[in-house]
Amino acid sequence: MSDILFSSWGGEIIDNRGKDPRDFESVSNVTLPGHFKQDQKIKALFGWYGIVLRSADVNIVDLCREYITEVQAKSCGKCFLCRVGTKVMADTLTRICEGKGSSADLSILSRLAKSISESSKCNIGQSGPVPVLHAMEYFAEDFAEALSSKGSISAGTYISKLTAPCMDACPIHLDIPKYVECIKEGRFQEALDVIRERLPLPGVVGRVCVRPCEYHCRRTILDEPVSIKYLKRFAADCELAGKKEPEYRVVPSAKKGNVAIVGAGPAGLTCAYHLAQRGHRITIYERLGEPGGMSAIGIPDYRLPRHILRGEAGQIQKMGVTIKYNTTVGKDIMLSRIEEESDAVFLAIGAQSSTMMRVKGEDQGYRGFIPGVKYLQDINEGRDPYPEGKKVVVVGGGNVAIDCVRCSFRVNKSDVNLVYRRTKNEMPADHVEIRDAEEEQVKFHYLTNPTRVLAENGKVVGVECIRMELGEPDDSGRRRPVPIEGSEFIIDCDIVVPAIGQSIDLSLLEGTRGIETTRWGTISVNEVTKQSKLKKFFSGGDCETGPGALITGCAAGLKAAAGIDRMINGQPIELDEDDCFDKFFEAVKVFDPTEKIGLLGGQKSRHLEMLPPEIRKHTFDEVEQGFTAREAMAEADRCLRCYRVATVAV
Amino acid sequence: MSNVTLTIDGIEITVSKDKTILEAAKTAGVRIPTLCFHERMNPIGSCRMCVVEVEGFTQPMAACDTRVQDGISVTTNSGQLFRIRQDSLKLILVNHPLDCPVCDKGGECTLQDLVFEFGIDKVEYHAPKQDRLSEYATSLIRYWPDRCIMCLRCVTACREIKAIGAIDIRGDGYGSQVVSVHPDKCESCGECLMVCPTGALTENLSRYKGRPWISERVMTTCTYCGCGCQLELNVLNNSVIGVTTRDDAGVNRGSLCVKGRFGYEFIGSDERLTKPLIRKNGKFQEAGWDEALALVAGQLSKIKKESGPDAIAALSSARCTNEENYLFQKFIRAVIGTNNVDHCARL
Ligand SMILES: Cc1cc2nc3c(=O)[nH]c(=O)nc-3n(C[C@H](O)[C@H](O)[C@H](O)COP(=O)(O)OP(=O)(O)OC[C@H]3O[C@@H](n4cnc5c(N)ncnc54)[C@H](O)[C@@H]3O)c2cc1C
Ligand code: SF4
Ligand code: SF4
Ligand code: SF4
Repeated sequence: MSDILFSSWGGEIIDNRGKDPRDFESVSNVTLPGHFKQDQKIKALFGWYGIVLRSADVNIVDLCREYITEVQAKSCGKCFLCRVGTKVMADTLTRICEGKGSSADLSILSRLAKSISESSKCNIGQSGPVPVLHAMEYFAEDFAEALSSKGSISAGTYISKLTAPCMDACPIHLDIPKYVECIKEGRFQEALDVIRERLPLPGVVGRVCVRPCEYHCRRTILDEPVSIKYLKRFAADCELAGKKEPEYRVVPSAKKGNVAIVGAGPAGLTCAYHLAQRGHRITIYERLGEPGGMSAIGIPDYRLPRHILRGEAGQIQKMGVTIKYNTTVGKDIMLSRIEEESDAVFLAIGAQSSTMMRVKGEDQGYRGFIPGVKYLQDINEGRDPYPEGKKVVVVGGGNVAIDCVRCSFRVNKSDVNLVYRRTKNEMPADHVEIRDAEEEQVKFHYLTNPTRVLAENGKVVGVECIRMELGEPDDSGRRRPVPIEGSEFIIDCDIVVPAIGQSIDLSLLEGTRGIETTRWGTISVNEVTKQSKLKKFFSGGDCETGPGALITGCAAGLKAAAGIDRMINGQPIELDEDDCFDKFFEAVKVFDPTEKIGLLGGQKSRHLEMLPPEIRKHTFDEVEQGFTAREAMAEADRCLRCYRVATVAV
Repeated sequence: MSNVTLTIDGIEITVSKDKTILEAAKTAGVRIPTLCFHERMNPIGSCRMCVVEVEGFTQPMAACDTRVQDGISVTTNSGQLFRIRQDSLKLILVNHPLDCPVCDKGGECTLQDLVFEFGIDKVEYHAPKQDRLSEYATSLIRYWPDRCIMCLRCVTACREIKAIGAIDIRGDGYGSQVVSVHPDKCESCGECLMVCPTGALTENLSRYKGRPWISERVMTTCTYCGCGCQLELNVLNNSVIGVTTRDDAGVNRGSLCVKGRFGYEFIGSDERLTKPLIRKNGKFQEAGWDEALALVAGQLSKIKKESGPDAIAALSSARCTNEENYLFQKFIRAVIGTNNVDHCARL
């Protein structure tokens, strides 16, 4: 049963006012969460798409005033109608709320609201007046009442936030419209500064991010998404090309502590960066001799040149962060020791072990049977894991599998195969990567699953596979592959690389008590604050979520840094307003792929120049060539600046 | 670039597909009102005066910043568009003072023209006065914050044309303003001054010397260096009261450096030499051209004869034209007979 009194969200009008609650019509296109913070019941939402009203004791006129005042505060000032118009609207609404309004004010409001939303330059001005127009249409009596009463309306309690579809989708919430606009206007350094407020690895993430932002880019509705990832890379490359050293501002916290971080992957590095900016003393313990975790030993150099990663990690070290390389926690130093020496510990150990395929022969230690992560690590460290082997079969459909096949050519393997149990459509790997691999002439065997690793004299000679067909959908919604009886066949090969998943090596936790793990073998922490049951310990990244993406790891590092800083300063670690809005926007979607934008599109994304397949498949040189300044500025110009304000009445 | 065909106010036109609706309209002979748009810069999009309707699309679009597409039908005038344009101008007038009588720009102000065109005789919108800084990046230009409509032409010109970025917008919403963010970088070139469509930027040297329409504009070549920039001397009663430029003239297309833009007062200076001087008995005395030239020619011949041509060296001025410099070195080489000739711009 619906508890919504009125909704105009997205233009769908549901008016339950005056109805028996049992007859309430439900709202189909938005879910209004019950609470904002735990003890704050949400009474209404006022936003870019309209009004959702739950409680009758919200004064709509006052809500209009609050909302437009917020919109005005967020207006960038770069177009006349929004800059001055929303100010006039806010002042007019304030006057009405103070009991000093006149009927002329209503015509001013409606006329301006129309002009502003019809012609502002960006979505702040285009969407800002929308709920006010809805209010004036459907709550006319409330306005009439406000005009006739001479007293002022008492102000409600509201919380507002500026967001944008891309920004909300980005796990670390980069201010994408802002840095894209900086690039459009040729302020490349400022763009980088905006990124670095949250993310210390722009050059890395700008190359290999899985880019959820682009999948939520509103421009897609008109034509294609803005190439946000390439623009980020461009900003980072500009600084490198100009041989400039970034400047960081350290704003020390009142109390500074000793923090230990286990793992110098994206999560650990990001956490260190933010804590260092608050003046804490940080030591990172790292098993490898190199920073970056999976982005160093997993992601191949032709996608992410090593000097970029080392450069950005080096900047973090220059901020005073100590990294102890070649130090495995649990072996070279015990976690309990680290705990004693530190005020807080951040576990960011990633998911570094390969998952077994559960087929015959994989546990026999055959020469030529090499788990995906190990295979890539060797190649990334400059070794051919098995020089005699020339024919490779990689098993899996994710990005790791694609990296394994593409790397194989680059260490002179002549015959490279990928075996995947579903079809290309279900493949989780990035479609761009799949295309690149196809161009490089990887042989794809879809609807195929390995059943046995074949060997002679302890060396792999082939893999037995079975054909699959798609059956009923499973929990994930993808159709489940089922084997076709009797369709077994053999692929001759001398290397088999399983790349079907990774797991977490939790052995470092031995001897500690209180850090819980989940049944998936991940470390259990509060999803938002990243704190574990054992208060001193925080964890995030792949070891919290299972194998994920760089940017989610970085986001976890940022969150953990905030929590650790609060802990050291004796402040409570709880959800802040931004965290609550994150949850809120999960329910109230910021991006609506069905939105009708009403603008002319037809300007496709710009892509990067690439080395031709025949050349690139044999070299570890970077495949994608970055944007020129002119290309970057033209691409940035495609951004619609979809900023939008949401105000919640509690 | 391939071509596309569209109609604008019923006129069919074929243009290259990288053109904007505004450019296509110009080709079709349809005028769309603009305020912030400037030929030499990327579209700014601050004024929204150029909004047009495209059939089948609900949202009016800025013609300056929207690329054409095949088959679209554009309308440049309607009740809705008129209201939007009027509102845009009215919102500017919320703050812009009507001090046209004492404004240097009165008579050649784009805002004045548009307010007239859109028949705005009253403004029903109100907001408190803005509290803005009046400092500017250079003392040669006066910034009138009240008159500034925040079209951002100046900011864009400084950044895009000059690649300097001395001024920028700061603050949010109604409180935003044009601020000198890097006054140290300002070269006082006056690019901002030239593109400002209102009287918000005025030249500090020539204030109140004359109204734009009573002065005569004489196109000439800048004398400061050999670049050959074109400029217009604003002349009143046979004296120069200012320098303006035209976007369509010369290699400079409207740009000048600080000297060309502001260094014109010497023309009418009392201290300027207008006759040759000859030092007689240790003192400079005015002389006629014939006398002066005869003296120089005589002395040069004498030195050449007594000490040879290499005893003479010559230096010419960057303020001469290329042709004059050419003739000068020719004279030194062929007539005097020495290669001892150079030019001050090499120093
Ligand atoms: C082949 C491959 C390709 C990928 N491609 C992409 C991509 O294109 N885009 C993308 O976004 N993501 C990609 N990912 C995923 C991404 O790399 C990870 O999600 C990300 O690196 C996780 O960061 P993290 O900091 O949590 O862990 P990790 O990067 O795994 O870092 C963990 C670090 O902890 C160290 N460590 C572990 N145990 C100990 C210990 N006991 N003592 C000391 N140190 C320890 C490890 O050596 C490692 O350096 C890819 C992953 C792989 C394997
Ligand atoms: S926020 Fe958008 S709509 Fe508002 S002034 Fe800036 S460009 Fe205009
Ligand atoms: S168009 Fe720009 S602001 Fe809008 S979603 Fe895409 S990147 Fe973000
Ligand atoms: S000073 Fe002139 S050019 Fe600059 S923003 Fe103001 S009105 Fe526009």
